[in-house]
This record gives sequence, structure tokens and C-alpha cells, in this order.
Amino acid sequence: MDLLNIDRRIIFVFVFVGVAIPLMLDFSFPIKPTEPVIRVFDEFERVAGEKDPVVLVSFSYGPSTEPEMQPMAMAILRHAFSRDIKVIAICLVADGPGLAEQALAQVGAEYGKEYGIDYAFLGYKPGLWAPIINMGQDFHNAWPRDARSTLISDVPVAANIRDLNDFDLVFDLASGDSIEFWWIPFGVEKYKFPFSAGCTAVMAPDLYPFLQSNQLRGMMGGLAGAAEYEHLIEIPGSATAGMRAQSVTHLIIVAFILLGNAAYFASRRKVTA
Amino acid sequence: MRWRASRVVTLLGVAVLFPVVLSAQAPPRAIAFDTPNDAGGSITVTWPRVDGNGTTNHLVYVATAEAGPYNLAAEVKGKGAVLSDDPGNYGRGEEQDATHFVHVSDFTTADGRQPLDNDVTYFIRVAASKDGMEARGAITSAMAEANFINWAKTNNFVIGTALSLIILVSISLARRKEMFIRRIAGLEAIDEALGRATEMGKAVLFVHGLREMDKISTIAAVNILGQVARKTAQYDTLLKVASYDPVVMSVSQETVKEAYLEVGRPDAYNEDHIFVAGTDQFSYAAAVEGMMVRERPAAHIMMGYFYAESLLLAETGSQTGAIQIAGTDAFTQLPFFVTTCDYTLMGEELYAASAYLSREPRMLGSLKGQDIGKAFLIAALLFGSLLATAGMPFITHALAAH
Amino acid sequence: MFLTRTMPTLLAFLFGAVAVIIYYVPHTVAQEIERELSLWLRILYAFAYFLGLYSILNLHWNRISRREGGWAYSGVAIASFLVMSFFVVYNDGAGPFAPQATAGGYQWMFTYIHVACSSTMFSMLAFYIASAAYRTFRARSSDAAILLVAAIILMVGRVPVGRAISDFFPEAAAWLMEVPNLAAKRGIMLGVSLGAIATSLRIIFGIERSYLGGGEE
Repeated sequence: MDLLNIDRRIIFVFVFVGVAIPLMLDFSFPIKPTEPVIRVFDEFERVAGEKDPVVLVSFSYGPSTEPEMQPMAMAILRHAFSRDIKVIAICLVADGPGLAEQALAQVGAEYGKEYGIDYAFLGYKPGLWAPIINMGQDFHNAWPRDARSTLISDVPVAANIRDLNDFDLVFDLASGDSIEFWWIPFGVEKYKFPFSAGCTAVMAPDLYPFLQSNQLRGMMGGLAGAAEYEHLIEIPGSATAGMRAQSVTHLIIVAFILLGNAAYFASRRKVTA
Repeated sequence: MRWRASRVVTLLGVAVLFPVVLSAQAPPRAIAFDTPNDAGGSITVTWPRVDGNGTTNHLVYVATAEAGPYNLAAEVKGKGAVLSDDPGNYGRGEEQDATHFVHVSDFTTADGRQPLDNDVTYFIRVAASKDGMEARGAITSAMAEANFINWAKTNNFVIGTALSLIILVSISLARRKEMFIRRIAGLEAIDEALGRATEMGKAVLFVHGLREMDKISTIAAVNILGQVARKTAQYDTLLKVASYDPVVMSVSQETVKEAYLEVGRPDAYNEDHIFVAGTDQFSYAAAVEGMMVRERPAAHIMMGYFYAESLLLAETGSQTGAIQIAGTDAFTQLPFFVTTCDYTLMGEELYAASAYLSREPRMLGSLKGQDIGKAFLIAALLFGSLLATAGMPFITHALAAH
Repeated sequence: MFLTRTMPTLLAFLFGAVAVIIYYVPHTVAQEIERELSLWLRILYAFAYFLGLYSILNLHWNRISRREGGWAYSGVAIASFLVMSFFVVYNDGAGPFAPQATAGGYQWMFTYIHVACSSTMFSMLAFYIASAAYRTFRARSSDAAILLVAAIILMVGRVPVGRAISDFFPEAAAWLMEVPNLAAKRGIMLGVSLGAIATSLRIIFGIERSYLGGGEE
């Protein structure tokens, strides 16, 4: 077999095995949270110390990133509900509501939380960043009703929210543009509220400048970020389980890269000789 | 006897109250004024900084009449913020470091929270509270007003105006004289790609990413599409354009049609070759990948803003053996394109591409203006960092966003 | 000509100039204008969905009627749309005007078909990145070698097994993200922002009209 040109399908088989087998076995590696994730945790702990804490969670991801983002959503909802933080959830992407409702219903039931009193889901609004501008001026005008068509003034958890500054923290779960191009320029910069986020692993490098300037108070990047957060709240979930598969697969990819390089240098030596 | 008793009572009273007098705080000297640079409905209340271990709290009371009743508007626990924490509104300096402040926008009454109205005089009193004792300061008054200009953004306005003028002047100058633009390898490869497609009798597939028409990466992509369409019309090569957004598709149709008309080949234009492949990210990726594998275009030109589908498209395209030229300002997708495509335009090379291909003065001038802006930013970063390190952060302060 | 070129250009100038002015004017009048503009934007985006829907249905219908290659898949696309629409309207028996039910056919299809298929498409990236990495991460030059070493450090350092091997990997990965990556991203952001300013100016002043479709002035 030519190690310089291994058939793609062989690589695909190794990756498949590297993902599937660890998920069926039970082993773990120690997880040590990184600084951006610890900052998210600290923000929620700060909010828990406030009077009548309420957090706005924006579900800005869709079904394609569900495996990566849903564990993140569950982890922060578990943290919020365990600390009696009220949650108001919204969606700024069209295919997010189904996932948001599932997460809220499941975690709400785990902690015995009541819809309307402890949390509410306001549904989806189109317009990309436009709803953020509206929320910053008049929250009830931006979301006149919740997803069950109840007037927002009749939803106890949201009745006294006038604008984004009435939230102790705004948290965005994003798989697209929403953090860098919607929430930060049209939200944080205009209205100056505390903001934190979770995102897919591929987007995480984009957001480090905002972490440094404190426009973003902490960030969870990808499944690894979700696993670190599960470790912090001491409730292991699917993200922690996913670290087994991710660790092995990363090692497989590195092994192939090293193999390819070894073959490359060997062939160069042969040509030189 | 009475005299002695009163003396005893006085002495006893002093003995009891003396520790209390010692522990009470001096009443704060508060000043209130309209919060600057806002839409109104807010009054700024300031008082001198309290030193110590932060055990003194301050309570701000508001009333609509001087005689009261005074209602609690804000409670500042411990040390609180100082004016220099908000330099945009209040500046920097020793005085700002030595003055606490709070913005008051409502107060609590029996009927609930009452927001402050504009152009109404409110009476404010600040009390220092420690160990259960409260010392109330003198009453002051202020009126909230809506401001017409946000002076905190003066630096932003000056820099923005300067950059805008530089760009507009550069565009104007470009109309009168030739401007140099360096060679961009990826763009010269477009001719090679189109020639290859013509020789093989196969199509050229143009993909302009997932962003809407108002994004500059999409505008740049559509500009490049116009140039590509001119060439495919000249060479009589089939051009297919797979769009994600219906508005982008409409604009692309107009652009391609105009290009074919300019070259004198309106008969060769087919509206059905510019279509929406999917309005969901991965449906779009699956549709385009299917086209690549089934129809085997000879060249793939991927210009615009891409997300996770970039690797799916580029890797599938590389498997078909097509020549691939990509251009994106999506920072996180660049590695995927660099590793799978023959040529990649990175970041602003995408914006420069439309200027490079068309050689239009407005594009070249715009690029030149951006380059001057970049030179200014580089100088500011270098000198600003050096001066800030030396304890002179005035460039840092001048460029701070408020 | 007036409706297709001149009026859109005038509107672009008007709304662009207003948006810039509003940024520097905090007065309630400016806030009201901003609120109205953002509400209009939301309405426009909602209508854009209808445009997208028409476009995609038209595309697939044409493929079916002309029996183009793969036309059966277009049939599946239209049938899927009709079935999902039916269950949305049916709404688990409550009808289209009641709040969307959290159970029922639509939710079932969303969870067990749409989510499953979308996640599967996204997960293909794992296979593709493996084959792309193997093929292209070769130390052909010093730049390629630096890219290779950085990629390996990050891949190992960002998962728990990296710390199990050595503390060097996660710490080096964190440094790579917080220093060179941050610097590069910030540089690109500055350049891209200048490009955005330039393009916006060209649109506001009518110098750039490619968004209208077709040629220049």
C-alpha cells in the first residue's frame, strides 16, 4: 500500500471505528476546565448571588449542530435551575425553537421548574440583529407574546423585564453569526449588558479577541467546552461521554498525519538517493 | 439636686452615644445632574469617594417635591463605581477617581417602579449607611433631559469621518490617475480555470457562499461573478451559479444577464442556470456536492462567506479533479480552503479581487483608501503600544470606544 | 430606470445616512426612528422567506417537469415540504391558529428526520477533515511545517487525552489560541472592517450599485 496516497475510504473506516468504539466502552480522561469556560461558570455564579436573578438565553443554533450545542444548552440550564436562576429563552434562527423547547422541557422537569414562573420560551423572531435592537429599547414590544401565545405581561417571569439591561446575564448559544455580528455590535456595544456565549468548536478561534476585551465574559467552545462545563457543575452528560470518542479520533487523525509525513520524507530521501 | 441629675443624665447619654457618634458616617455631599449623552430619563448622582474597607453603603432617595416623600431609587453597596470607570461620559483624572456615581432612572413607590420623566425636577438625597446607622446628606435637585449629541463618541466620529474622506478622495483620484494593485495569484488562475473548462467542454460552477446580499463578501462575490460571466460568454462556456439566498440569486441573474448582453451574447444567457440550490446550510451543501459529482464541472469558483459546508464542498470538489479557486473572509474556513483548493484568496484579497479583475477606478480608489486607513491603524497600534507601555496611554484613550 | 436604478439608490442614501446619524444621536426621536427601521427590517426578512420558498419550489418543479437528472429527488423534496406543511397546519388537531404543539407529527419529523439528517451531514466533516488533513498537512516547507506542528498541538491539546499525555499540550494549545490566533483574527477583523466601511460608503453614495444587479452607473 502506498502510504503517501492511502485510499480515503480506509481513513474513513478508521475514523468511524475511532468514534463508534469509544462510545460503546466506558473509560474517561480527566477533564480540566479552561479559563474561558471557568469565566462562564463564574458569571452564572455571580448571577445566582443577585436578587431575583434572571438570564436571557438565546438559542441561535439549528439541528445540524445539535450534537455539539444541545449538551451545552442542557449544562447551562442545569446550572441555572440548580441555582434558582430564572430563564427566558428566545430563538433568532428559524430552526432553533424545536431544540430550545426540548432542552427547556427536559431540564425544567428535572428540577421541578414551572413554565411561566421559573422559565419561559418566547419563540422565534426573524430579522437577524433587528430583534436585538428592539429588545434593547423595549423588550415587551420586541416579544409581545410567548411561544404559547400568552401576552408577555401575563408571563410572570417576563412581566417586569423592560429591556436587555434588566437581565443579569445574556447568554447566546451560537452556531453562526449571532455572537460576532449580531449580539456584540448591536447588543453589547449599544446597551452594555453582561454577555456570555457558547459556540461550535470551529467558531471558537474567532471569538478570542472579544474574550480579551471583555465584550464576551467567557465562552464555551464546542463539545470540549460543554464537557468542561459539565465537569464544573458536577453533572456529567453527553458531552463528557463524547470526549472519549473525540479524544480517540483526534489521535487517529494525528497518527495519519504523522504517517503521511513519514512516508513523504522517506520518499524524498529515496529520490535524493 | 436636679442640676446634678441632669449632669448625670448628660454624661450617661454621652457615654452611651459616643461610640454611636464615632461610628456614624459623615453625610455625603451629593451632586446630581442630567446623565450626559443619553436619551433622557436618567440622572447622575455623585458623591465623594469613601475610603476604607467598603463597609459603607450608599442609598439614593428621590422625590418629586422637596418636602418629600423620598423613595429609594438606588442602593450602592460597598465602594461602588467611580467617575473614571465611565471615561466616555466623565473623563479621567484625580477628581474622577475620587468621586462615586450612580445613574438613577427610576424609583420605587407603593405603586411600583416609577421611571424618571424628562424635563421634570427631581429632588435627590444620598444617605451613607453603616452598621445600621444612616447619615443623610443635603437635598439636591436635577432634571433629566434627552441629549441630541453623544459627545462620548466624538473620537469615533472624527476617525470615521477622516477614514471616509480618505476613501472618497481616493476614489475620486483613481478616476484621474492610474493606481497600482499588486498581483493576486488566485485571480490570474481564474482565466486558467475558465480556459480549461472551455477546452474540456464542461461547465464552470460558481458558488457565492451563505451570506445575504447586504454583506460585503457577497457583494465582492457578485462583482467577481460579473467578470467571470463576461469571460464565459466570450468563450461560450456553460456557467452555473448555485445560490443559497433568493435575493442573491436574483441579483446574480441580473449580473450575469447584463454581462452576457455587454459581450453581445444575450442568446447564450439561460436564467435556469442561476438557481437556489437550497435555503438550509447542509441541504445547500448536499445539492452542490451532488452537482459536482454528477455533472463534473471543470472549474469550481467559490467566493464569499462560508461556514462549515466549506470543507464539504471543497473536499468533494477536489475528489472530482476540478480546478478550484476559493476566496473568503471567513477566518475559520480559510484553513479548509487552503488545504483543498488550488488557489485561495484570503480575507481582503476577496474584496481586492473585484477591483483587480475590473480595474474600475471606484474599486481601485476604494482599495487605496483602505490601505491608507490600514497604515494609520498600524501606526496607531505600534506607537500606542509603545507609549502605553511607557505609561503614556493617550493614544489608547483617543481610540477607546465608548 | 427611475424605479430600478435611481429610486433604490436614493433610498440607500437616505436610510444609510439616517442609520449613521442615529448612531451619534441619543435623543428619543432617533431611538424611535431606529426602532421603526428595525421593525421594518424584521418584516422584510419574514417576507423573504416566501421568496425563498417560491424559488426552491419552482426550481424543483422545473426539474420534475423537464425530467432533468436526479428529478426524483426533487419529487422527494416537494413531497417532504407538503407533508411537513400538512402537519404544521394540522398541529396535532389544534389547527394552524393555535400555538404550535410540542408533540405530534411535525415535532416527530423535526426530531427524528430533520435533526438526524442535518446532524449527519454536519458529522461528515469529521471524515472529510481526516482525509484532508492526511493529504495536505505535509511539511513541504517551513510554513507548512509550522502549520503542521500547530495543528497537532491543538488537536491533541483541545481534548482531555492531551492533558493525560502531558500538560504541555493543553497549555500550548491555549497559548496558540490566546496569542497568535487572537492577533491574526484581530488583524483580519481590522482589515475586514475597513473593507466594510469602504463598501458601505460606496453603497450609501451610490458609487456601488452591483446589489441592484447588472452593470455599473
